[in-house]
Order: sequence, then structure tokens, then C-alpha cells
Amino acid sequence: MSAPTVSTDRVVKQGFLARYGTQFAMPAGILVLLVVGTVLSDRFLSVGNLTNVLINMSIVGIIVVGMTFVFVTRGMADLSVPATLAVGGLLVLMLDDVIGTWPAALIGLAVATFAGLVNGLLIGYAGLNPVITTLASGTIVLGIAQAFVGGVIVYGEDPAAKDFLTGRLFDVVPMIVLIFAVVAVLGHLVLSRTVFGRWTYAVGGNPHATEASAVPVRRVKAGAFVLTAALAGFAGVLLGISLQAARPGIGAGYEFDAITAVVVGGVSLLGGSGSIPRAIGGLLFVQLLTNILTLQGVPSEPQGMVKGALIAGAVALDVYLRRRGGRE
Amino acid sequence: MSTSAPALRMSGISKSFPGIRALTSVGLEVAAGEVHAIVGENGAGKSTLMKILAGVYQPDEGTIELQGEAVRIAGPIDARKRGIGMVYQELNLVPDLSVAENITLGAPPSRFGFVDRKALRARAAAVLDELGAKVHPDDLVGSLPVSQQQLVEIAKAYASSPRIIVLDEPTSSLSENEAQALFRVVERMKAAGIAIIYISHRLREVIELADQVTVLRDGRLVETRSAEGITAADMIRLMVGRDLTDVFPKTEVPIGDVVLEVRDLSRKGEFDGIDLDVRAGEIVGLAGIVGAGRTEVARAIFGLDRADRGVVRVNGDPVHAHQPRQGVDAGIAYVPEDRKRDGLIPQLTVKENITLASLGEVSTAGWIRGRAERRVATDKATELGVSPPVIDRRVDTYSGGNQQKVVFAKWLATKPAVLILDEPTRGVDVGAKADIHSIIGQLAAQGTAILMISSELPEVLAVSDRIYVLHEGRVSAELPRGASEQDVMRAATGEVAA
Repeated sequence: MSAPTVSTDRVVKQGFLARYGTQFAMPAGILVLLVVGTVLSDRFLSVGNLTNVLINMSIVGIIVVGMTFVFVTRGMADLSVPATLAVGGLLVLMLDDVIGTWPAALIGLAVATFAGLVNGLLIGYAGLNPVITTLASGTIVLGIAQAFVGGVIVYGEDPAAKDFLTGRLFDVVPMIVLIFAVVAVLGHLVLSRTVFGRWTYAVGGNPHATEASAVPVRRVKAGAFVLTAALAGFAGVLLGISLQAARPGIGAGYEFDAITAVVVGGVSLLGGSGSIPRAIGGLLFVQLLTNILTLQGVPSEPQGMVKGALIAGAVALDVYLRRRGGRE
Repeated sequence: MSTSAPALRMSGISKSFPGIRALTSVGLEVAAGEVHAIVGENGAGKSTLMKILAGVYQPDEGTIELQGEAVRIAGPIDARKRGIGMVYQELNLVPDLSVAENITLGAPPSRFGFVDRKALRARAAAVLDELGAKVHPDDLVGSLPVSQQQLVEIAKAYASSPRIIVLDEPTSSLSENEAQALFRVVERMKAAGIAIIYISHRLREVIELADQVTVLRDGRLVETRSAEGITAADMIRLMVGRDLTDVFPKTEVPIGDVVLEVRDLSRKGEFDGIDLDVRAGEIVGLAGIVGAGRTEVARAIFGLDRADRGVVRVNGDPVHAHQPRQGVDAGIAYVPEDRKRDGLIPQLTVKENITLASLGEVSTAGWIRGRAERRVATDKATELGVSPPVIDRRVDTYSGGNQQKVVFAKWLATKPAVLILDEPTRGVDVGAKADIHSIIGQLAAQGTAILMISSELPEVLAVSDRIYVLHEGRVSAELPRGASEQDVMRAATGEVAA
């Protein structure tokens, strides 16, 4: 029959721009920024400056890895990141003189993960709205943290750990960037090569069909939030140790930066597609742009406006490309 | 009839969808104050015809006249403006609003731009009173039983003073008593001079209510006649009496032991006391009209829904399937009715869809073995004739028939002992349909026990070794191979209890 063949061709043709357009847009965008930055400022294209960009994006980059899982499962976003990050940072500094920095780090990580488990149960199993749930749980956890430390700054007692994290491997690669790279590679492998990763895509793509295919949909949904909380807690631990100081508000804005990166990277809010490399591409894009604006002496308020516009633009582009792709 | 033009005259209506000719030159004439029943099997074209009347679809050919005036119905809103009221099977009410608010939702009476609550309530009460519907205007719709919601839906359509009202399966979820209350409302509307189009699978209702009956079959008009003296047997004969145009080859396969055994399976409001057996190599049909509970039974056997009572055994071992995982582990596979919703992940590739239910087979400690996965996907795609067999292409770039083969491939990759097929050839073109039938035959030959749901009677009759017919959630007949379409339809419409 000729009719179905024709319609198949049409779908493929429409999908062409959707697929390849999004695949090359990000590398091209980053390239454009590198050129623009180089033209605008002679300080931009230097090892020192670009290394700084990488160091600045490492902490939020670790959170981006988790947030990508949340997006891919169609879990919208995890807004409890500031709280889970603060839990990691505060606990490691409060306990480091009692039990040592590394055991304290483990406890910080565990408590943050536990908060993620609560998120996961409420969202994955009880079916609550992820945005509202993580907003509520984040507020509660932050409240508990504030009650504990009384709103003051907690200082660390372990300069050696700080030196280790802020140091450089072979005096070249910043340790924090290395840790981020390892997390990113592991996250990418889990998402692209494991059963859990495949389930993550399937759940976000079509939860009904995934459930009918005998996949534990609720567990997978919950897993994305547990992972994000664990990674945010880990980011908090790293931040606490490298600053040797933390206050309950230490994580403010990280959720926003992570969401920005994932969205700008073209990972759809509607779930089922996207990847860690793309999200990190989005992060790199935003960080380079911020760096260029800073070098140009643009104050931080207009920078916020630029970032907001970027999110809106990226979401609009996603919706547009999906329509062109002939779906929904 | 007098010389005045009928309320509705549709003539020469044809409509095609890609790959399917839904209606071929169908005509329908309904007079004011007449109840005109439309009957036909699933897929006969009743819904398409009504959607054309409602402006949801535009006909490819044909004309529509209202009171003798040729019109083009641009869309659902235009249809309502022209005096056509639709009451669909699925209710379109706002549960958090009162009965009165729902009835006047289209055009609430207002004063100075604000809703005039007093007038609104009075208007709704008047409508309900005219219809003789015993529903309180102040009750919240969400708190009412379905039967009363149905009356509210009709009142809502009636409130816009239509000349024509279409009732699509209004009694499908009502009990006998509740249906009687609805019939009284229909009689009132008829007395008010409204032309009523009544679609129902319940032939007794048609006999009781209708003045005229139109029978559709395969998108064509079979006959329009007076309902006076018509019997259910007449209608069944007209509905199914057709020549077999499609060929369904059936391979003879030795039948083995009982593999799937279902006893007393029940789920409140859906089905009750279902007993059935399927043997190795046997293809068992599950027939019945839409809403008889076929899909619900299949979902419960597989574990997508939980049964309240009853046992499912596979090869003698009880299966406690509360989740599909348990069904799959017990060797049950389910190719769902709604491929888009329950069958495929559109964003994933053919390969990823095929292995989704059997990732355990191609992974070690949670890591997918890329080569093993590719091999399984390639094997299954080739075996089922997915064309082209490019396993890295997104599944949503394939045609409906190929997508259905991918769903089959997914379930065959789990090596099932029992395969439940829910409308396996719906929405696929003729070529793919023949492919799927031959796949089903081969699977049976390999000793798979197959339970097949299909609304296409010729398909069920040709492919099945045995047929269970469901009627209102119960098995109303068990028929051997060689049963006629009339036998099945009689059991499916509840005309005989076997």
C-alpha cells in the first residue's frame, strides 16, 4: 500500500530537523561564544580564565547530573537542592572535629540521600506533584537545618582537606574539576548503558507503556530524586570542605542554575529524551556566557535577566522542535 | 410523513482515513419527534457518522440538510449553534460544579456581566422538570451516581434547545431500572418534537424505544426500516450477514495441555466469575461488544489491574499477578489494545522498545550488554518482518503495522507461555494484518497458548479454535470452532445465555 509509506516518509522528514538541529546547535553555540569571548576580551581565551570557568561549574555540574535524571523521567525538577546541598555542607563542617572530615562527609551524604528518599516516596509512590513536593520538603529540611545551627556560619577545622580539594592533580588539573568529571562520566554511563538508565528514558517517554512492560515505574521515578539529593548532598560536602565555612543559605540558587543548564542543554521537560553530555553542554554554554558578561563588566542583575531569557528561549525552542518533529 | 422536510437528512456521506474507508455513501433521515436507532458492529461506522454530524470530522463526500437547508457543519460549536446536541458515552461534566451550573455551562444567565445565580438555578430546574428527570439542581455532579450524571448530561444538551439530539450508548453503564428512567426522559424529548438519534448495542432497547432503525455494516448502509415488528434476530442478521472478504488462513496445530487456567476471576464493576482455559497451541477468542469487559479481564490476568477474587494458574502454578512483573515472570505476555498508550515508548528506538520487557536477559549486574541486546532486537525484528529492520531508528517513524510488530517482538523476547492479544490487528493495514495472523499461527504451532480479543467477528471466527463470549462482565457462551457470527452476536448482546 502506498498511503502508509508516504506518511512514514513525511514523519521522517519532519523529524530530521528536530534531531539534527538540536544535536549540532549546542556545540555550535559554544563555539560562537568562544569566538565572541575572544574578540571582546583578550583575557578570555587563556588557560587561567577557562580553568576558572571549569572550576566554577564543577559544583553545580554535579547537581546537573542528577537533575538530568529527574528531567528524563518526566519528574519536572527537584527544587529541594538548596536544602540537600546545605545539609551536606553543614553536617561535614559540624562533625569534622568530632569524627573526622571523611566520616562526617559520609554522614552528610547519607542524610541528604535520606531527604531524597522521602521525595522519591512521595513523588514516585504517592504520585504527588514533584515541583510542589520538593518545594515543601526543601523548605522543611532547610528549616530543620536552620534550627540546628541557629542561622550562623559553621566553620570547618580541617585545612588539609580544603587544600586537597582546592589543589591540583600534578599541579595541572584542579581536583574539584576531576571529581566533577568522574561524576559526569559515571552518570552518563548509568543513564546510557544500564537497565536503570534505559528504564529512566522509558518512564519519561511513556509511563503507561513502561508499566505495561513490567518495569517498576515508581521505583525508577523515585530513584531519580534519590540520586539528585545524593549528588546535591555530595556537592554540599565538597563546597563545605573547600570553603571551610557554611551557612544554611549556602545552596540558594543552585537549583536554578542546574535547571537552567539542563533546559538550555535541550533536555526536554516532557521527559524521555536528553543526555548528560547535552545537559553539561548547556551548563558550559551558560558558564561561558556568564564569564564573558563578567569580563565585560556587566553587573550580576542584568546577567540574571539574560539567564532567565535563555531558559524561556530554550523551552520555546524545545516545544517548537517537538511540533516540527510531528509529535504532540 | 408530511411534505415538510425532515429535521436531518444526510445523504451520500463518505469518509476515509489513511488506509481505512470508514463510510461509503451512507444516508440517514430523521424526522422531528422520531427516535431513530443506529445499530451495527464495532467499527461499522456509527461513531464516524455521528462525529461528522457533530462537526468533528468533515465528510469527503455527501451533503447534510437541516430542516431542508443544506449546511456545512464547521465544527462542534457550529453544530451546537445549528441545534445539534451530542451526548457522548464518556460524560463531559465538571464534577466540582452543581447540577444547575453544569446544565447551564454553555450559556449561564447573567446580569451586568455576573452570573445570575437565581436565574441559573430556575432555568436548570425548569429543564430538569420538563424532562421529568429526578435530579436535584443544587447537588454537586461529582457526588451523583453515573446514572444521574447521564441525565444531567442529557439535560445539558437539552438546555440549548436543540432540534436533534444524539445519544451514543447512553445506557452502557446503567442498570435496568436506571435505563428505564432514561427512557422516560427520551420519551419526553420525543414528545417535545426533537429528532433523536439513538445508538445502542442493546437490541431490546432499540425495539422498545425506536421508531426507525438503520443498520450499518462495514461503513455501508444495510437497511433503514420501521422498528415496528422488528426482532433482535432480524437486526443481528443484518448487522453481521456479510461475505468474508478477508482471508484468514488457519494452520492446524496439535492442541496440548491446559496452560492458562482462570477460575472465578472477578473485579467489582468490571467482570464477575470469569472461568476460562487456554491449552498449548490453542488460539482462544474472547468476543463481546465494547464494554463487555474483555480488556479488563485481560489486564487482570496479566497483572496490570488487580482482581478482587479468583485464581490464575499457568501450567498449574498459581500466579499472584498484582503487577505486570509477576505476570511476565509467570510466562504471561500482553499485547495491549491501545498501542500508543500501553504499547510503545515513542522516543525510544526499535531496539530499545523490543528489549524493554526482557532487559534482564541481556544485562549483567544491571549493565546492558550492547552486543547481546542488538542480537535479540535484530533477531526479533527480522523474525516478525519489521521493515526496514533498522533497529536504531526511532519507533515512531514507523507505520502502524510495523509498530504493532515491534510490540509483538517485545513480548516474544520474553519467551511467553501464554500470549494475550488485545485487538492485535486494530489500525494496521491489510498487508500487516495478514503478517500478524501468520505470526499468531506460528506461535500457536510452537505451543504458545493464545488468548485473542478482537472486535472483528470474522477475524475471531477464522483464527480461533474456541471462543468465549463476554456479555456485561460474564461469560455468556463458550462456542466451538465453526460457530456462526449470529451465534456470537446473540451471546454478545445477551439475547441468549448459554
